[in-house]
Amino acid sequence: MKKFLLPVLLIISFNAMAQIKANDVNSFTLKNGMKFLVVEDNSIPNANMYLFFKVGSRNEHQGITGLSHFFEHMMFNGSKKYGPKMFDRTMEFNGGANNAYTTENVTVYTDWFPASALEVMFDLESDRIANLSIDPKMVESERGVVLSERSTGLENSPWRVLLEGLQATAFQEHPYHWPVIGYEDDMKNWTQADLEKYFRTYYAPNNCVVVISGAVKTQNVKALAEKYFASIPAQPEPEPVHIVEPEQKGERTITIQKDVATPYLAVGYHVPDAKSKDFYALVLLKEILSNGKSSRLHKALVEDKQLATMVSASYDESFDPTLFFVYAMSAKENGDSILEQEIYKEIEKIKTGGVGERELQKVKNQKLMEFYNQIETINGKSNNIGTYEVFFGDYKKMFDAPSEYNKVTADDIKRVANEYLKKRNRTVGILKTNVDN
Amino acid sequence: MKKISLIIFAVLCTGLSLVKAQYKLPAYEKFKLSNGLTVYLMEKHEVPVISLSAIFPAGAIYDGSKAGLASITANTLMTGSVNLPKAKLDEELDFMAANIDMFSSKEFSGLRSKFASKYKNRVLDIIKNILLNPAFDKSEFEKEKSRTLVNLEQAKESPRAVIASYFDKAVYGNHVYGNVVSGTTSSVKGISIDDVKRFYNENYYPEGSAIAVVGDFKTPEMKKMISELFSSWKKGTSKHTNAASNPISYPTEANVVLVNKDDARETTFYIGAPGINRNNPDYVAISVLNTYFGGRFTSLLNDELRVNSGLTYGARSVFSPLKNGGTFYISSFTANKTTAEALDLAIQVLQKFHAGGITEENLASAKNYIKGQFPPSYETAGQLANLLTQMYWYDFNESFINNFEKNVDELTVDKAKNIIHKYFPSDKLQFVLIGKADEINMIAEKFGKVKMMDIKNDIP
Repeated sequence: MKKFLLPVLLIISFNAMAQIKANDVNSFTLKNGMKFLVVEDNSIPNANMYLFFKVGSRNEHQGITGLSHFFEHMMFNGSKKYGPKMFDRTMEFNGGANNAYTTENVTVYTDWFPASALEVMFDLESDRIANLSIDPKMVESERGVVLSERSTGLENSPWRVLLEGLQATAFQEHPYHWPVIGYEDDMKNWTQADLEKYFRTYYAPNNCVVVISGAVKTQNVKALAEKYFASIPAQPEPEPVHIVEPEQKGERTITIQKDVATPYLAVGYHVPDAKSKDFYALVLLKEILSNGKSSRLHKALVEDKQLATMVSASYDESFDPTLFFVYAMSAKENGDSILEQEIYKEIEKIKTGGVGERELQKVKNQKLMEFYNQIETINGKSNNIGTYEVFFGDYKKMFDAPSEYNKVTADDIKRVANEYLKKRNRTVGILKTNVDN
Repeated sequence: MKKISLIIFAVLCTGLSLVKAQYKLPAYEKFKLSNGLTVYLMEKHEVPVISLSAIFPAGAIYDGSKAGLASITANTLMTGSVNLPKAKLDEELDFMAANIDMFSSKEFSGLRSKFASKYKNRVLDIIKNILLNPAFDKSEFEKEKSRTLVNLEQAKESPRAVIASYFDKAVYGNHVYGNVVSGTTSSVKGISIDDVKRFYNENYYPEGSAIAVVGDFKTPEMKKMISELFSSWKKGTSKHTNAASNPISYPTEANVVLVNKDDARETTFYIGAPGINRNNPDYVAISVLNTYFGGRFTSLLNDELRVNSGLTYGARSVFSPLKNGGTFYISSFTANKTTAEALDLAIQVLQKFHAGGITEENLASAKNYIKGQFPPSYETAGQLANLLTQMYWYDFNESFINNFEKNVDELTVDKAKNIIHKYFPSDKLQFVLIGKADEINMIAEKFGKVKMMDIKNDIP
């Protein structure tokens, strides 16, 4: 992440009652393959530009881990027309702000600006995509910045340490094995050649989707896109990530020592990617487990038994099979093993007893509210539309999602819980002070 | 060539005001119930959702000897009302996908809620009962208390989570603005359900409170609903005085609070001094100049500490104003071994700012930036509801929004010089360093009188 630590998890949702409709999104593709999605929205005199590049830490290999994220930083450090520092200075002079984030799957650049500065954004973005110059001096100072970013993450949250360890244990072959930020030794070792190769391969117009929402006219956006981006040549498709994580054949555990008040616990189950037929049922299962104080895990562990101070579940869109996580912080000093067993008990209840109709309706209602939250801002619109386009292959799927969700039955929830939340398929991570007993 | 383009840009746009966003606050209605409760209503129909924000004169400045009392009172209010026990409350809100949160800050406590407009009758009734008819169930309170105690211990694992409390103590001393909102392990242990009831009875009263509702409703209907629901709220009985009205004795010399963290891999630091009150007439001008100094990516601070030197992932500065006082601080973090370098550099940047002021081009850039980023701060119903309660609390009105651009534009390079001199500190700086004490204590001594503490202990 360029500036501030953003949560890696993007929240997405949808519903039939959505105010924004599929035909409110205007779409066009340049000859070089660069795709644009535009939403005209005049609620405030501002606009944004979100650029989704299909490159993340899954495209790396050992030796260059962390390079996708480092590259995200280098994209701000100078190109042909706008030299070092000039990208940010020009943007801020024109009233704009920006940020960027990198995940295992994608690198996303976000610009927020008064709508009157739209052309400046095109000028800035096209300059760095067409003509990035990688200055060795900037590489060195930026290396210090990302080392500090890694350090401050580890300093301030035990979760970073635990989840990195868990992910490395659950994925033994697939590149989700290493953290997005990279290994410290790789971070100190990236070369100029690594960076240049990365740029050519992944920062091609045909590997990018651009979403613009705000007080703009599509016609104007189209003219600017032609003017600034059409001349950037397409590149050969990047090589696909060919490694498939072998099926897990038994529970794995990892324990990490760190001085903490009470233990931190995380469990990861292998689950399929966003295009799977089970995606929607798994998302609803996640909500049933942990969305809200009446959710299964929160009610049982935080409220009733007071074994945890927090519990949460996550399952995010990805290109390759990923992990369904349950996390919890123990309320008691040596409470990790009882907390772990109680989490499994709650999961078992769903596997054998299923979920009630009101409970299912509750999570569908929550999804609708989440959708309203997303489309309430122009940034939510761009992020959601881009995420659907990239992970589900078509932004229109955002508008099909309501019927996909409504199709999910209580039996589906029970079925996916039984299929994926199995002991042999899970990796358990525990971080605590005393690991020697 | 590259360096010059900014200046060319500036000259091309004489007047230098590139950003013409023109954001005006949407219309709203303000009225008072006979019990003194102030109500704001603003319609907004983009999505079928309503946001509510309420503010009560029940902040941590009223904690007395029981630090954390305001906070735990707010949290206890969320554990059910007389006619709706916690488990039922939680389930019903979750089913409607409605959200209600309560929190405390230094000066006030607040409630924030967001819900689908079709559930407005039910959710508003629940909010009323949470506020007016709390159950104060003892076992729910004890649960809340033990969660709070674990959270306080966990916070000690993160310098970022605790550094502001150490800093406020250093600047405000014994004044109530130095109170630690979250409380400490030992103070929270001493809080009982009776303390919570007493705090509620003394500090939640309509004539000092406001409710703002923004979203998808019709004003006359909402006016009727809110009036009917909250008219029964009885006026306060005790005499109300502003606990923060006593004068603050700010430090008279430079001090360093060095908080040891045995396993620290980096030093987290604040450098600061007294700041401004929220009603300072130069508020907007100060915001513009702080944007330039430490409020954006290309700011002087971030440019030096991050971009030029790679010492940190981020450096910034903040004015944190309250009704009767305020703080200013520079905040950043850096590896143990670069601690001295980063601290020296931060102070140099501050000195350079004092000596050099701001150029015409840089002032134009800061103005454009602050104006360009202004409208998205007031885009959602929730943001607008919070703004309305802030207007109530700090006694300002929509002219702050509507005249914002004009006030920004009025700042000149000459005026800026005075503002910098007047409000950005140059001496008697207060330092808080959280890091590995035996590696950085020699450095700390350079900057002032050192007080040693340990992150594992309570904030004193």
